[in-house]
Amino acid sequence: MIGYHFGRGRAKWSPYLLLFPGIFIYLLIALGPSLATSVYSFTNATGIKGAPIEWIGLDNYREFLFMGQASLDNYAALGRTLVFCFFVTTIQFTLGLIVAILVNQKLKGTNFFRTLFFMPVILGAVIQGLIWSLFLYPLGGPVARLLEFFGTSSEFFGGQPTEAFAWVIAVQIWANMGTTMIIFISGLQTIPDELYEAARIDGASGWQVFQHVTWPLLTPSVNTNLLLNIIGSLQAWQLFLVLLGYRNGTQVLGYLVYATGFGQTSGSVTSSFRQGYAAAASIVLFFLVLILGLAAQTVLQRREERILG
Amino acid sequence: MSTTMTTKSAPLIGEVRQKRVDWGKILSYTVLIFFAIIYAGPLLMLVNTAFKTLPSFMKDAVSITDSLNFKNFTDAWSRANFPRYLTNTLIYTVSATVIYIITAVFVAFPIARGYVKHANWILTMFVIALFLPPALIPQFQLMLSLGLYNNPVGYVLLFLTNPIGIVILVNYIKSVPKELDEAAALDGCGYFRFVISFIFPLIQPAIATVAVLHAIGIWNELILPTIYLTSQEYYPITRGMIVFQGVYGSNWPTLAAAVLIMMLPMLAIFLLLQRYIISGLTQGAVKG
Repeated sequence: MIGYHFGRGRAKWSPYLLLFPGIFIYLLIALGPSLATSVYSFTNATGIKGAPIEWIGLDNYREFLFMGQASLDNYAALGRTLVFCFFVTTIQFTLGLIVAILVNQKLKGTNFFRTLFFMPVILGAVIQGLIWSLFLYPLGGPVARLLEFFGTSSEFFGGQPTEAFAWVIAVQIWANMGTTMIIFISGLQTIPDELYEAARIDGASGWQVFQHVTWPLLTPSVNTNLLLNIIGSLQAWQLFLVLLGYRNGTQVLGYLVYATGFGQTSGSVTSSFRQGYAAAASIVLFFLVLILGLAAQTVLQRREERILG
Repeated sequence: MSTTMTTKSAPLIGEVRQKRVDWGKILSYTVLIFFAIIYAGPLLMLVNTAFKTLPSFMKDAVSITDSLNFKNFTDAWSRANFPRYLTNTLIYTVSATVIYIITAVFVAFPIARGYVKHANWILTMFVIALFLPPALIPQFQLMLSLGLYNNPVGYVLLFLTNPIGIVILVNYIKSVPKELDEAAALDGCGYFRFVISFIFPLIQPAIATVAVLHAIGIWNELILPTIYLTSQEYYPITRGMIVFQGVYGSNWPTLAAAVLIMMLPMLAIFLLLQRYIISGLTQGAVKG
């Protein structure tokens, strides 16, 4: 209570009183439930109102990790989550960086390109997904025609699981590259022009300028983008819902949590409301995010110390 | 001798420079245009399809439409129950954003000023949720036991919190000079009135940023309505769109028109408030 001037006595409590609603709602619907996830993971909770909830210890984890075919499917989903994360992170990072550098030049029309590349970010998974379902229309859509021209073809989202999965990766990158680009642009704008001029006077080539000026000084944005991309892509699954549904051979962990917890019927795969089990699955996903996030953070921080001293 | 040489050759070099093709520029534009095709292509296809008739789409999906067939839009509007869904989304988005912003400023202001004890702890408590497991399942159990399942009020309740917004507001309020508080208090202004009539107007850019980000999130939300709202009369536009896709999945012209209708408000907000959205995203990313 440093320097509070708005009265004494009862008036001193007004900040607390007015702070309360915001904190209460946050604790009730965000922090509380978040912490309770681990508690639920030890129960057999269902989504049915009034059904008894029993403490079953580690059974959910045992089932998730060590129970025959079902856990093999879970490992497959975990593997797919990592594959998705790897491709989305590396490609989105690289493309975002290239595009950011290009639109950050003093060229005509860069504002237009910047706006265009960022736009999908605000559209949300439903629109992003539907737009691409149409663009990848298999019966004579533009991409189908293009592939035909090159003597190949694809069934896109209706194809084999691996093929459909790859297309979801592409749409995910299309949808989110704008965020990566924007963060890189804000990083590029903090690099002083004098450094570029000095490098040019010294006769450095474009690649040398990138290597010795842009890339090291971009380290904070590189770290932010890598962390955001890794964490974001491990948890992303909404486009799978819109584009593929809960299809065998394409599930990622986030979708698995949702489908087991809230029931999802699609073709032959039907699942029930197993919320205790879903909570355990979401704790597994949480640890995956935590471990990869911390590992990335450690590596990136060491690199930053080495580069920026 | 040497002076004449330089004066002679100097304009020559200049001429050569002017005529030399700027390969860097050409390469930049080539790459940018390539990306622009990938980004604008799907949107142009959407617009084109929305104006086509179904037979013409079936015959050739990519041909440019030869008529402006507005019937797709009227069809989508009436058959997709759009007025209802859009109204729902609008009510959810506006009410949740307004309530959230008001409560958030009253959380952020005393934290930024240190007017409550352990201000830093409170802020950390907000940030920490970003790194914890998802709240999805216990949240559902809570809503179920509160009787707020399939209830629009309960649905709005889910959107009354957003930790990143608090962080952005706290940082912005710190830039408002503290002397203002003292001066207003000396004039007899109370705490509540001060926040409402001085802080709110002064931090408008931060409020705009947070409000826009929050509203976009609610507008686009698909998972929560799928979980919590079972009655069709409560569906927001996202959920309604998925239902519509299920029924009209093969009628792409009508579906495209529906997508376009759903997209236009977002697009308008984006083009008008791009500055706020981008500043919010970069701040949230760097601070979070």
